[in-house]
This record gives sequence, structure tokens and C-alpha cells, in this order.
Amino acid sequence: MKIKKLFLNLDDVANAALFLAVFIGIWQLVFVLGIWPKISLPSPATVAESFANIISNYTLFKGIGITLGRLVVGFFISIALGAAIGFAMIKFKGFGKTMSSFSAGLLSFPSIAWVPFSILLIGFNDAGILFVVIMSSVFSITISTYSSIRNIPPIYIDAAKNMGAKGLSLFLHATIPAATPSLIIGIRQGWSFAWHAIIGAEILMSIVGLGHILSVGREFQDMGQVIASMITIFTIGLLVDRLLLFKLEEKVRSRWGIE
Amino acid sequence: MTKLEAKNIEKYFDHDGQKLQALGGIDLKVNDGDFVCLVGPSGCGKSTFLRIVAGLDRPDNGEVLLDGKPVIETGPDRILVFQEGALFPWLKVIDNVEFGLKIAGIPKSERSEISKRYLDMMQLTRFAESYTYQLSTGMKQRVAIARALVLDPDVLLMDEPFAALDAQTRDLLLVEMQLIWERTKKTILFVTHNVAEATMLGNRVAVFTNRPSTIKKEIVIDYRRPRISEDENLSKYQQQILAELRPEVKANV
Ligand SMILES: Nc1ncnc2c1ncn2[C@@H]1O[C@H](COP(=O)(O)OP(=O)(O)O)[C@@H](O)[C@H]1O
Ligand SMILES: [Mg+2]
Repeated sequence: MKIKKLFLNLDDVANAALFLAVFIGIWQLVFVLGIWPKISLPSPATVAESFANIISNYTLFKGIGITLGRLVVGFFISIALGAAIGFAMIKFKGFGKTMSSFSAGLLSFPSIAWVPFSILLIGFNDAGILFVVIMSSVFSITISTYSSIRNIPPIYIDAAKNMGAKGLSLFLHATIPAATPSLIIGIRQGWSFAWHAIIGAEILMSIVGLGHILSVGREFQDMGQVIASMITIFTIGLLVDRLLLFKLEEKVRSRWGIE
Repeated sequence: MTKLEAKNIEKYFDHDGQKLQALGGIDLKVNDGDFVCLVGPSGCGKSTFLRIVAGLDRPDNGEVLLDGKPVIETGPDRILVFQEGALFPWLKVIDNVEFGLKIAGIPKSERSEISKRYLDMMQLTRFAESYTYQLSTGMKQRVAIARALVLDPDVLLMDEPFAALDAQTRDLLLVEMQLIWERTKKTILFVTHNVAEATMLGNRVAVFTNRPSTIKKEIVIDYRRPRISEDENLSKYQQQILAELRPEVKANV
């Protein structure tokens, strides 16, 4: 079974490599045709050079470290806060109804639109960026907590009550695990909102981080650096979602017996 | 001595704004250590009745008395084996079986000892570490029974627990169930739509009418145990029950 998995992975890798080769080929072709001036669309080689550059002077790694650090802090605050609000919505029905429409509205609110508010309220600093990240992801956690718990098949709760669970033990041993598969989906969505938000916030209100590297590239008309940062952002987003969150979701789903 | 008494239990449900009366006044007295089977047309309210006795639902009228005291909530003295099994997919078989013990705060070593005994009895030992989606319907149902038995309740409420089993497993469990009952002297309320099953298990068989249901007739089965499914002598009881049941099932379709 292990071996089969390895082969599957090799297959995937081959596919990805092919896709990448074709992509870079087209890019190179467009470059050679000279449709855009070199400064607007550099060759893949120039971008690779920019990459080497920001890697060798550690700009990239520092940027990644700072961005991910902020993101993790903001996202965990979002989870804690979002879950707390979600539980309160379950507990207090009236609040739950009102809050769920309110949250739904805020869910589609563009994260960038929080930036001016945050700068004026909190400042042009780390806390301000965290605020944008939290506001952009907390409502997806809230809504998912609320709906996950509401949609638990009642039979699980009945069975747990029947065997003596109540109050906190009912919550911990039945409510939470029964809601987990659906909670994970909300967390994954919240993560993607947080990721969008932090890059946007860093472009506009940071002097460090991945978003900042991107905006420096723009200021110095260094398209090589812009594209290199974009590729980094793409890759990190992909890795976190596929290797971490998607795997987690798959694992939970198979454990819970959901196809 | 009366262990359990249902007095004029009525239950209504809301169906698209219309009131539907499921239970039309159930009266039932069950002695300590008795084995009573409940049969009736499908949809007449047997599950509803068991849920009320378990304390999971409240009746709209009447009351259930356990040892003379009104039932108002669930309790470890009455455990229901759900028709759907209702196992927890996030737990291994063994953790499903130990769930109630864990909730009751029983230490790990003691829990393992108890669960081992019942896993053994239900022939589940090999599957202790499996997750429930890996089990057949019959095995799931056995887990559900083991999960109830470990709690050693005074009253065992069983909602068609054998309905989804293959004939061989069912025959095995029908005998096993009688042995468990004789050994533990638990009070058992057992819902089934299988008349042969009812005559094998019950000291008494209560026949429900159609909705709004009441208990139409109680048939006493005073016959030696353990009873086996091939026993021809049970057929006269089966005929008696079927005679009561047939008009109800007809009215139902
Ligand atoms: N939670 C519920 N909400 C609405 N109607 C219900 C509910 N539970 C049961 N009923 C209705 O009550 C009747 C009796 O159901 P049930 O007790 O499951 O019957 P049985 O177990 O005898 O087949 C059915 O008509 C069913 O549709
Ligand atoms: Mg039923």
C-alpha cells in the first residue's frame, strides 16, 4: 500500500513538472515575441535571478517568517474568538439568529476594505495588520462553528445523553467530535481568508513581510521581484492548503467514515 | 414488584403545521426482571414510546414511573439501544463500548476489563480497534448492544436491535439475549416487528394498535427457556399475536 502511494505521488510529480514546463515554455515564447517591453514582462531567467537575489540576501526567508508568524497568531486568535462567538450563538438563540445574518454579511466583506479603518483605529503597525487578518477570517469560523453544531445529527447527542453525558461532558465527548468534519471545512476556509487578508494588509501597511516585498518590487519597477514574490505566495498557499489542511480534512473524513 | 409503569402516555408531533397524535394513551406495567416485547405496525409509535421511557422525549400527557418515581430525564438505570445503532464514528469499537463508563468516570483499567467481557460476549474482540464504518450492519448492532450492556442498567430498552441482522447471527443473539436476561434478571422492553422473535424472547408480548396507538392486547408466553427459533410450540403464540396484529397492519396500508 505504501509503495502504491509512492507511485501515485511520482505520477503527480510528473504531471506537475509537465504542467510547469509548458507554462514556462509559453512564458518564454511570449517574452521572445516581445509583445510587452522587457521591463513589464521579464524572462523566466530574469525572474529566477530575482529569486536568487532575494534568497541570497535573506529578504525572502525573513519575509516568509514574518508573514507566517503574523498569520499564525492572527489565525489562532480568529479560531478562538470565532469559536467562542459560535458557541454563544448556539447557547443564546436570539443572538444566534441575528449574528448569523450579520456574520454572513461580513463574510463577503472584502478584507482590503478593513485596512483604512484599521490604520485609523489601531495604527500603521503589527497590531493593525493582525486586526485586518482577524476581521477577515473570524466570521467564517463563527458561521462554521454555529452551523456545524446545529447540523449535528441529533441521534449522536441522544445516544450520548442516553449513556449519561450532560453539560460539559456532552459538549466535549459528543458535540465537538460530531461537529468536527464540518468544523474543519470552516477552518480551511478561514485560513484562506486570512491568507488573502495578510498579503493585502502587508502591501498597504507593512514595512516587512511577503506583501511588503511585493510592494517594494512595484515601487522599484522590479517586475522580477514582483513575480518572484507572487510565485512564493502561490506556493505557500498551495502547500499549506494541500499538505496541511486538506490532508487533515481527508483524515477526519475517512476516520468519520464520510466519503 | 412493579419496576416500570407507563400511565396514559400521549405524544403529539407537528407535521407541517398539522398535529399528529403518535401515542394515544399507552398504559403498561412491567415487573422487576420481566421481559416484555412490544409489537405493532410500523409508524405506530414504538420508538417514540421507548424514547419517552428513556427520558429522551417528554410525553404530552401521562407519566412514566420508575420504581414509583416519575421519569424526567435520561438516567443510567435505563439504557436504550437505538434502532439506528447510533454508534459514534469518531471512536473505535472499544471506545464506543466504553463510552458510558468513561462518562461515569470509571478508571481505564476497570473500563478495559468490563469492555473486554462484553466485546467477547458479542464476538467483537477481533474488531475492538476498528472504526465503525469498517463494520457490517450486524456487527454495528452488536456494538450497540455491548455499549448498553456495559452500563449494567436495571432496565434495558431495545428498539428492533436485530432487525438488520442476518438469520444466523440473529438466532445466535436471540439465544444469547435470553441467557443474558436469565443471568442478570434485567427488566427488558424489547421492540420488534418480528412476531417469531417476540415469542422467543418475551414473557409477555404487548400489541400496539395503529396511530394514535394504545396497547390493544397483552399475550402471556409462559413457556420454558431457552427457547429456540425452530420450536413448533411457539407457533400457537405467534398465531395469537398475528391475529391481533393483522387488522392493525391492514389499517395502516
Ligand atoms: N421527531 C419527530 N417529529 C415528527 N414526527 C415524528 C418524530 N418522531 C416520530 N414521529 C412520527 O411519529 C410516528 C411514530 O414514529 P415511531 O415512534 O418512529 O414509530 P415506530 O417506531 O413504531 O415505527 C410516525 O408517524 C413518525 O412519523
Ligand atoms: Mg421504530
